[in-house]
Amino acid sequence: MLSVKGLEVYYGAIHALHGVSFDVAQGEIVSLIGANGAGKSTVLKTLSGLLRAKNGEAFFMKHSLRAMEPHSIVQAGLAQVPEGRRVFQQMTVQENLEMGAFTQRDRAAIEQGFEHVFARFPRLKERRRQLAGTLSGGEQQMLAMGRALMSVPKLLMLDEPSMGLSPILVNEIFSIIAEVSASGTTILLVEQNARMALSIAHRAYVLETGRIVMSGDAKELLGDDAIQKAYLGH
Amino acid sequence: MIVLRQLINGLHVGSIYALIALGYTMVYGIVKLINFAHGDIIMVGSYVAMVLMAQAGLPFWAAMAASMALCGILGVTMERVAYKPLRSLPRINSLITAIGVSLLLQNTSQLIFSPNPQPFPTAFKVPPVSIGGLDIGFITLFTIVVSVGLMLALQAFVRATKMGKAMRAVSEDMGAAQLMGINVNTTVSVTFAIGSVLAAIGAVLYSSAYPSIAPTMGSLPGLKAFIAAVLGGIGVLPGAMLGGFIMGVAESLTKGFISSQLADAVVYGILIVVLLVKPSGILGRRTNEKV
Amino acid sequence: MKKKLRSYILNTCAVAALYGLAMLLIGSGAVNNYYLGIMLSAGISIVMAVSLNLTTGLLGQLALGHAGFMGVGAYAAALLSIHIGVDAQYIFPLSLFFGGLVAAIFGLIIGIPALRLGGDYLAIITLGFGEILRVLIINLDFTGGARGLRGIPRVTDFTYVYIVVALVVAVMFALGRSRHGRAILSIREDPVAAEASGIPTTYYKIFAFTLASFFAGVAGGLYAHYIGVLNPKNFGFAKSIEYLVMVVLGGMGSITGAVGAATVLTVLPEALRQFSDYRMLVYSLLLIMMMLFRPTGLLGTREFSLTALADRLLRRKPQAPDFAALAGELPPAALTHRLGEPPAPGAPALLRATNLGIQFGGLKAVSGFDLALEQGEIVGLIGPNGAGKTTVFNLLTNVYLPTAGGIEMEGRNIVGLPTHAITQVGIARTFQNIRLFKNLSVLDNVKIAFHNQMQYTPLEGTLRLPRYWWEEKLADARAYQLLHVFDMEGLADKQARNLPYGQQRKLEIARALAANPKLLLLDEPAAGMNPTETQELLATIRRIRDTFGVAVLLIEHDMSLVMGLCERLVVLDYGQIIATGTPEEIKRDPKVIGAYLGQ
Repeated sequence: MLSVKGLEVYYGAIHALHGVSFDVAQGEIVSLIGANGAGKSTVLKTLSGLLRAKNGEAFFMKHSLRAMEPHSIVQAGLAQVPEGRRVFQQMTVQENLEMGAFTQRDRAAIEQGFEHVFARFPRLKERRRQLAGTLSGGEQQMLAMGRALMSVPKLLMLDEPSMGLSPILVNEIFSIIAEVSASGTTILLVEQNARMALSIAHRAYVLETGRIVMSGDAKELLGDDAIQKAYLGH
Repeated sequence: MIVLRQLINGLHVGSIYALIALGYTMVYGIVKLINFAHGDIIMVGSYVAMVLMAQAGLPFWAAMAASMALCGILGVTMERVAYKPLRSLPRINSLITAIGVSLLLQNTSQLIFSPNPQPFPTAFKVPPVSIGGLDIGFITLFTIVVSVGLMLALQAFVRATKMGKAMRAVSEDMGAAQLMGINVNTTVSVTFAIGSVLAAIGAVLYSSAYPSIAPTMGSLPGLKAFIAAVLGGIGVLPGAMLGGFIMGVAESLTKGFISSQLADAVVYGILIVVLLVKPSGILGRRTNEKV
Repeated sequence: MKKKLRSYILNTCAVAALYGLAMLLIGSGAVNNYYLGIMLSAGISIVMAVSLNLTTGLLGQLALGHAGFMGVGAYAAALLSIHIGVDAQYIFPLSLFFGGLVAAIFGLIIGIPALRLGGDYLAIITLGFGEILRVLIINLDFTGGARGLRGIPRVTDFTYVYIVVALVVAVMFALGRSRHGRAILSIREDPVAAEASGIPTTYYKIFAFTLASFFAGVAGGLYAHYIGVLNPKNFGFAKSIEYLVMVVLGGMGSITGAVGAATVLTVLPEALRQFSDYRMLVYSLLLIMMMLFRPTGLLGTREFSLTALADRLLRRKPQAPDFAALAGELPPAALTHRLGEPPAPGAPALLRATNLGIQFGGLKAVSGFDLALEQGEIVGLIGPNGAGKTTVFNLLTNVYLPTAGGIEMEGRNIVGLPTHAITQVGIARTFQNIRLFKNLSVLDNVKIAFHNQMQYTPLEGTLRLPRYWWEEKLADARAYQLLHVFDMEGLADKQARNLPYGQQRKLEIARALAANPKLLLLDEPAAGMNPTETQELLATIRRIRDTFGVAVLLIEHDMSLVMGLCERLVVLDYGQIIATGTPEEIKRDPKVIGAYLGQ
């Protein structure tokens, strides 16, 4: 479904990605793990078209992402929940969700999207008239996810959904990710909390200073000595 | 009674400032650019309307519509050609380009129309309306009604329509807006178009109030409208309206009761006092940088 | 020093030769009055552009009322000349100085409120100032009102203009390459990092703005005594913009660029006089094209250097300064940081935070944070992303003002001190998203943090008095020594922006160390480093502690680094401390395992 080959990205003089390649198949949860600064967010930003790759290719269901504008990428079915949530603080919950459905033309489909999102996040329904800036961290994360789901993506990319959340909320968010996956959306998950990520992912790639240094089955990586040492604190 | 008269005069100019200020504030809100060429759109709008009315003999409404359309196109072209390529560079670059565009428009119109002022045709030959013993010129009434109406309409547009909401989303977080599938370029273009159309309406109303137009005529109302936008809180729509009215009324009262010479000084003085007390403007919000 | 001397002699000769040539041409009649007038105007424009470059190019603050200060100076100088009752030509330098002084006072009055705010406020307030000034001049009697001020003795001649231009340009260069100039540049590059490096940013903003106003006032004095009649219209917004355009076209921050652009933009319109109808059209098109296709201006931030040109012509290789030799010349005591005395028994802790907390809106980002650090300790602050670790750093350095609790450094309350004062008290930090002075050299990045350890005044720096030489030499040697700790001495001349990621992180640590801290706060120093680099960093941090005797508090996710380096760990979750202890204790703490380390 998503195939990335030899992605090279620079920030000015800094070489952020040194030829990153990976694949995501339909229905999978794939996780990119690695330390802060390893280039995980850079991968997602490049896939969403917010950064331009110098070299390499990224194909999403026959689309070549490199030539596409960010809004067409969303339209093609690739959505992202950005790091730090970035909800529109000065807009209401409802308006945030409407923005998520920006690419949808069909009113009925949008209504259905609202129903789905409110069913999954009942708390958002209670607070639909509230300004997003007044929500708690966990609620904002839910809003950010709900907002991305409003575009009915085929592949949902999540950047550090656990950031700044208490353990209970992290568990809640991750079980929602698993549900979203079960309902047919493919997931690419970038996470610094490697244990959580590996526990729900099918496969994972380990990113280190802009390179993929390891990949494989998530359960196997969870048991891998090197991974345990580097990311799991053993 | 004199106070009331000056107050109405103040509302008259104030509502024009407010219309123009909306363009500044919308553009600033969305791309953080002080569009110095915005004032010159007023000049272009006035000349277009003047030529169509005086030389082509078109009625007021048609001339105004044509002027709005042309200014809208001009605003969008300006953004596409001169500002968009510089969006990722430091803001001072687009500021300088804006100054360049402003000079370009002024000098082009000087070549076409000569630097000399020309009369602007009278739009309405209607007697003043008498309200409670106070004679109010029709154009004054018309200006206030049209401006207030447009402001309410714009507010509704931004609150309730899809495009209006997209504009708010882009101005709050351009990157996140892109992730929603919002086409930022289109949104910015629409913003420039709306701002320029409002400026064209402001231009026709302004020129009807001060019926002598010249290639540099846009600078003064442009500057005042910009100050109105800052006064009210730049980037905030109701702020631009409030700022415009405060400016107009303060100017008019100073002219009427103190000295017409000092009107500008009073206006700038108010600006500086407001900025010292509340740097983000009357209705503005202060944003903190993340470290 | 020898190299500098050569450059001074070369430039002085060039300035003198150019003057001689110009005087010869004027004396021989080859330059008639019309051309002389253009030359004088160009000189005045150069002073204006170079001084505005100080505010906008070097300090990085947009000002839209520079002509207003010129106007203040012009009126002040002219009024002095008219009313003093002495023949103007005898007191002309005094008039010029007076013009500059009055403009500087105005600059101070406007700068103090406007520059504290930052952002576009200076632009807006200076714009308002220019307009108010115009209106006031028109309405006041002693300024001649709207008719203008007449009867000013026309004593400005080529020599005066030339001397002022040469002086102003020389002062700019001399100041630019002193600790004060570096402080100004650091504000342009990153005000937050500048403040964290111990630079009192508000002070230097006001200093630079006032100095720029002074020079604009002097230029105004020259203008008044050249043109003979003053009209308030000549100092309006349009004029300010003209000077701004000169600065931007020359390349923001380039002094020679401003000189060049001011000359060209004064001469060009005269040359195009016969096409006067199209002149402004061409000018505006040029402006737009320039910004679209060469957005950094003619020279960017570079400077034209006569010495470099001479070197190239003579095929002399520019030699890199020999830092090792430099270090050898200095007494060894000057080089090493003093190791802290061991604390007296019962002395207060190096740093003590008690019940520290902050709320953003209704959200408690950090609460009930207690921490005591002793000299030379290495302590790790760990926890999930978003737990409030960086917020703790921002509280300790007062980037945020805490809403609860207190912070003491060696028993002294430091809550509410400005960030630069906290750096002086002895807390230096690095940032999670590396904040270097990107367009400055690696060496200057380090030297900026020496600011408070140097004493020479702006005057000593500008006049290049002995204390300047001694302290700069010492600073170079110490910067070199610090860079050597990180194996970066070979990169001293490079622009910081061109370093790879890992080197940028190390440079940031070197810069923090340069501030001579007792406590070093490192925010994710290993982020973006590979395992080998991380291991090297571990050794470096330990060596820094042993050499400089600093305590280190570090935020880090890399467990190999944290567990291998830290003597004590503090675990933060959801803004609260959930555990403290040795790495071994923390590894086994069930709460920590649940929240962060996992099973």
